[in-house]
Amino acid sequence: MKKKMINAHGIRKQFHGQNVLSGIDVEVEQGDVLAIIGPSGSGKSTLLRCLNRLEEVDGGWIQIEGDMFVQENDIGEVIYAPKEKSKEIQGRMGMVFQQFNLFPHMTVMGNLLEAPIHVKKQPKEEILPLAEDLLARVGLSDKKDAYPSQLSGGQQQRVAIARALAMQPDIMLFDEPTSALDPELTGEVLHTMRELAEEHMTMVVVTHEMNFAREVANKVLFMADGNVVEAGTPEEIFDHPQRQRTQDFLRNML
Amino acid sequence: MDKILQYLQPMLEGSEVTLEIFLLTFIMVLPIGLLVALGRTAKCRPLQWLLELYIWVMRGTPLMLQLLFVYFALPLAGIKLPDMVAALLSFTLNYTAYFAEIFRAGIQSIGKGQYEAAKMLGMSYSQTMWRIIVPQMVRRVLPPMSNETINLVKDTSLIYILAMNDLLRAARTIVQREFDMTPFVVAAGFYLLMTFVLTWMFKRLEAYFSQYE
Ligand SMILES: Nc1ncnc2c1ncn2[C@@H]1O[C@H](COP(=O)(O)OP(=O)(O)OP(=O)(O)O)[C@@H](O)[C@H]1O
Ligand SMILES: [Mg+2]
Repeated sequence: MKKKMINAHGIRKQFHGQNVLSGIDVEVEQGDVLAIIGPSGSGKSTLLRCLNRLEEVDGGWIQIEGDMFVQENDIGEVIYAPKEKSKEIQGRMGMVFQQFNLFPHMTVMGNLLEAPIHVKKQPKEEILPLAEDLLARVGLSDKKDAYPSQLSGGQQQRVAIARALAMQPDIMLFDEPTSALDPELTGEVLHTMRELAEEHMTMVVVTHEMNFAREVANKVLFMADGNVVEAGTPEEIFDHPQRQRTQDFLRNML
Repeated sequence: MDKILQYLQPMLEGSEVTLEIFLLTFIMVLPIGLLVALGRTAKCRPLQWLLELYIWVMRGTPLMLQLLFVYFALPLAGIKLPDMVAALLSFTLNYTAYFAEIFRAGIQSIGKGQYEAAKMLGMSYSQTMWRIIVPQMVRRVLPPMSNETINLVKDTSLIYILAMNDLLRAARTIVQREFDMTPFVVAAGFYLLMTFVLTWMFKRLEAYFSQYE
């Protein structure tokens, strides 16, 4: 049996008393690519941000690689893993944001080396070959001394992917990685992600790119109004959607 | 011409006092102002209130009054400071408040995406602030800092009332003795020169820090 990378159950989240997630289950095994799709405002980003603790859940539990990240006690209080443990678990997940969020005052190489050197305390000689290899993989070796502002959006997003990979995470989370890009630049980012999937990286991808979800993901989760409406393989969701809500959404997307 | 040369000696000495106060204040205000700004943006409520109160008092009362207080009122309470120390204390306390507000605005202008990226890379709060937020803030605060620094140069003339022989007092002494207005013109020249040099330096710094934008 494959290793469970993410096992989350009954995740609830409110903003200002409004239910944004009302009891979501997520299961991700090693090497899975899970695509999360759904209309705007359905809670996709919030779910992703709950998985990595950029937001804290109001209920439910999350296990990462078998370790308890957050759980609920008998009286319904939410309890996170102790500070150090929680940080360590968070460090197993790399995150790629819609807006890239590169550090603008550092070069491309500086962005990649920052956390390995200052957080993991890896010696520079040790991390440099990996960083160079990562830049080559995203096709940006010649840009290592450039500043983010000198790159196109697609290049910046590829740097952001490389930066997250430089921390050698076990799981990569993507929140609409191509939504801020001009249409002609989405291809290069999706190509990088596709390669990553082929190398069996475990990935959770919030996306509006239905073709990518269909071709690269092996699991799809369709959300609406803070609920999972339907989950299954790409064939099940895209070719044989069972629920009316899913059918309507997909019809509008095509 | 002879006259100007003859005035120059006391006026140079005066401008030394002015420069000294300016430079020492400036050097102290930068780190303290930054710490106050970081305290204002940290998540500790009591600290925030305390610093807010401090900034409110410092910006809400005249610098002249603060100077007089340190110089004349503190000794009544048994705290007698040397002139120079009293002047530096007043200027530093006052200008720290202004610089802290500039730094705070700079820190708050940096989007939350930078904090989230740093957090997901495992960076601690202090690493995030010192390595990610503050370096980006510097570029943005240079223009308002330039203004406030020039204000400080001019405000140093307030120590005039403390009977310290700064540039302005040196000028006035000569004017009163010789019934000649030239020293005022020379003093204006000194202030303008300092302002010019500072403006130029800040422009260079801005250009330097803009290279990545
Ligand atoms: N920090 C926040 N404070 C208050 N409300 C929030 C916050 N973040 C999200 N919400 C609300 O939660 C709901 C779900 O937002 P979320 O961003 O998760 O949706 P989404 O599915 O990612 O949408 P999109 O496709 O537009 O990115 C929305 O109604 C949003 O307004
Ligand atoms: Mg979203």
